[in-house]
Amino acid sequence: MDVEAKRIMALSISKLYSLRTQRGGLRLHRSLLLSMTMRAARDIYHTVQLLKDTEEEQVVPCAPDAATEEPMETDSPQTLIQTSKEVAMKPHEPKETLDEDKENRYASERQSRKRRGKTALEPDFLPLKKARMDTDEEKQHLQSEVLRTNNGNSCRQAETLTAFANRAIVAC
Amino acid sequence: MSVSFGGDEGGVNLTNFVCTSHHTADIISTVEFNHSGELLATGDKGGRVVIFQQETENKSQPQCRSEYNVYSTFQSHEPEFDYLKSLEIEEKINKIRWLPQKNAAQFLLSTNDKTIKLWKISERDKRPEGYNLKEEDGRYRDASTITTLRVPVFRPMDLMVEASPRRVFANAHTYHINSISVNSDNETYLSADDLRINLWHLEITDRSFNIVDIKPANMEELTEVITAAEFHPHQCNTFVYSSSKGTIRLCDMRASALCDKHSKLFEEPEDPSNRSFFSEIISSISDVKFSHNGRYMMTRDYLSVKIWDLNMENRPVETYQVHEYLRSKLCSLYENDCIFDKFECCWNGNDSVVMTGSYNNFFRMLDRTQRRDVTLEASRESCKPRQVLKPRRVCAGGKRKKDEISVDSLDFNKKILHTAWHPQENIIAVATTNNLYIFQEKVN
Repeated sequence: MDVEAKRIMALSISKLYSLRTQRGGLRLHRSLLLSMTMRAARDIYHTVQLLKDTEEEQVVPCAPDAATEEPMETDSPQTLIQTSKEVAMKPHEPKETLDEDKENRYASERQSRKRRGKTALEPDFLPLKKARMDTDEEKQHLQSEVLRTNNGNSCRQAETLTAFANRAIVAC
Repeated sequence: MSVSFGGDEGGVNLTNFVCTSHHTADIISTVEFNHSGELLATGDKGGRVVIFQQETENKSQPQCRSEYNVYSTFQSHEPEFDYLKSLEIEEKINKIRWLPQKNAAQFLLSTNDKTIKLWKISERDKRPEGYNLKEEDGRYRDASTITTLRVPVFRPMDLMVEASPRRVFANAHTYHINSISVNSDNETYLSADDLRINLWHLEITDRSFNIVDIKPANMEELTEVITAAEFHPHQCNTFVYSSSKGTIRLCDMRASALCDKHSKLFEEPEDPSNRSFFSEIISSISDVKFSHNGRYMMTRDYLSVKIWDLNMENRPVETYQVHEYLRSKLCSLYENDCIFDKFECCWNGNDSVVMTGSYNNFFRMLDRTQRRDVTLEASRESCKPRQVLKPRRVCAGGKRKKDEISVDSLDFNKKILHTAWHPQENIIAVATTNNLYIFQEKVN
């Protein structure tokens, strides 16, 4: 699934680049749609990557803590799905009244402010032309944001995310 | 198998039809009948406008077979270069809109990405002859040979159709113009680009009023663009514009000078089970058209056509799937850019049937009153004499029946984006990439 997200991300970026050389000037509508799709794919991709990393780290502690994790289980999938929905359903952000705690709401708003416009495209994994001093800093920032939205570190979240993402990528 | 629907009144029967096709030099980019249906204008990627005129075999019999033949051709727009931004401006005609006829001449508005032009199309079938100082070929006569004085008279000549640009409305749009719409007051019209809508007076070219502006202060906060706009057919103060987010806003120009605040917002909640990476793209509205009676409007997004009642904002009254079998192919359609295709839609004269295009040179007719729909193909085969138009079926998956076409064999390069319906008769114009097909119901 993250392979699909990565593919769509790469595809979107190459289309955005080719838009610049097209006759008639930059097409605002098309570049908006491309960048929205690219961002949605990027967010899913990063979220999955992060979950994979945290999953690998916490395989051992999960088993003995099965009993104590019960209460979290009911909460976290919901919040995860809701926050992941925010990630993918950007246009509906203003409408969704977020019932979960303020931390998640704040995190999603931060994410929406952080989202860059088409004019400031900075593809993460394509070779960069100029040296960037703050690359690592940005990556940490993004990771910490995702951590906040995940509201914890339950390994059960990986399953619910997969379930959601499968629904999200029906078309693929 | 006959294709017949719509009932006795205004019904559409496309068996026993007449089809003509015209091969065009360039890719057709817009098609529009005038208000009487006698003229059909097409615009193409090369900036040319070709106008066809209906010619009836026997004018005394209204149901007789009629043909559309080329009436006038002219170069409307040329490629331009914006030196300030180092951008080329395409000459492709995005839209043509006819003005209602007021006198012997016909007027139309044609627009490319940046400039709108008002063209006058007039006929000349007489010319003055018998000048005193000139010969008939224009050469000046030797003054010494002139011994008598005569009055020049008008004599008939071969019909000549002249197109002349009467107004040029330029430099009012930063972004690409997607729509123009003539107001029912016959004095003003609107033009819409991605972020703004301007109101013009047909007589005044050096200024326009900005009536909608959705450009955010910070472009990085941009989330939606304007995709289409149209004036209400009867209420000169009302217009609608659609967005890339699948919403339609109805605005009343009496409310304020700048119509950023809508009077009505039409939006259907999204079906969460259909959520995907491409939900944004396929919900973007590519066309919006008022019904002739002004009570409804129709919107086209990538997979469906929706009919909205102007009095109900929270959901459409009717939804028709155009090619639902493409929903599972969105990823490939994203790859080959087809997912960005902007299909148009149109109403028939009495608003009982709507039509829109699809791929593989298919187009769809959706009968609202009889709840029936049909898929037809615009191809050379359809134009053979005495050929019955055969309804087409696409097989979404599983076992393919005889005469069905599987989704994977559809030709996505053959797309019908532009269709038009005669305002009174059952005559339709369907544009494939390089051909204009005109289908006409033939009544025996």
